Amino acid sequence: MQIEKFKSISSTNKKAKEMSNLGVAPWTVVVSEVQENGYGRKGEAWYSPKGGLYFSIILPRGNIDDLQIITILAAFIVAKTIKESFNVEPLIKLPNDVLLNGKKICGILTENVIGSDVKLSVIGIGINTNIESFPLELKDIATSLKMELGKEVDNTELLEKIITELKNQFKIISE
Amino acid sequence: MDFKIKIKNKEYQIELKENCGAVKIKIGGKEFVFGSNKGSLIETSSIKKDSLNKGIASSLSGVVTKIFVKEGSHVKAGNKFLTLSAMKMENEIVAENDCKIKKILVKENQQVKEGEILIILE
Repeated sequence: MQIEKFKSISSTNKKAKEMSNLGVAPWTVVVSEVQENGYGRKGEAWYSPKGGLYFSIILPRGNIDDLQIITILAAFIVAKTIKESFNVEPLIKLPNDVLLNGKKICGILTENVIGSDVKLSVIGIGINTNIESFPLELKDIATSLKMELGKEVDNTELLEKIITELKNQFKIISE
Repeated sequence: MDFKIKIKNKEYQIELKENCGAVKIKIGGKEFVFGSNKGSLIETSSIKKDSLNKGIASSLSGVVTKIFVKEGSHVKAGNKFLTLSAMKMENEIVAENDCKIKKILVKENQQVKEGEILIILE
């Protein structure tokens, strides 16, 4: 598993797209402790302070239908991994969010660059793991695993479990 | 591949092309596209076909979220024409080659269908 780690970058999706353009291999993972300008669908900001898990994966070239399936599957995989790892009951809010106790805990954004065919695709996943508090405008709609569990979680372990599962699922749907 | 067939003494000019996994068959003025993964036969109208030569067709249904080019502007290969929010994903539609924008047929926040022409190039 090739993981490129950063302390702080603008956005893991942005970095993954740049790297893919430079020919970096599929399934390379970009992870950053902080995202200075993390974003979700329609460019909406994604709160990304230290403590959270923010990563993007360069996806293999696929057709647009497979890419849509992997986006939806990613939400299931994140929810399943959180449920099994921490014995909680996350809720999937299709297509791109995972909630815990009614508040957002994870957001997923797949971005494709399309010319005459799909040039590159990245999937970005942001999980509120060890975030201790949220700003006023988010505190009613967002939560973190640390806030819900009362203890820190291992970001690296969670990251590796999710990527392994995503790779397996992608293999299945591409066959 | 070009060839002719004769049915009931009438001769038809056939043009057969394979592109990105789809097979295009042109008979007379009409064009048919057989998508290998969908297994369906889609007739593309001759108007769309003419525009397709210099037009950028949407490869998926969705909403145009942002347009980055203006009519008359030059766009370099790889640069963005627009972004489409579609199928739960954000999609950057980029120029395949260096080109000049003749006409933009869509607006921001407009819903577009798969195959719809978004931009015409000079």
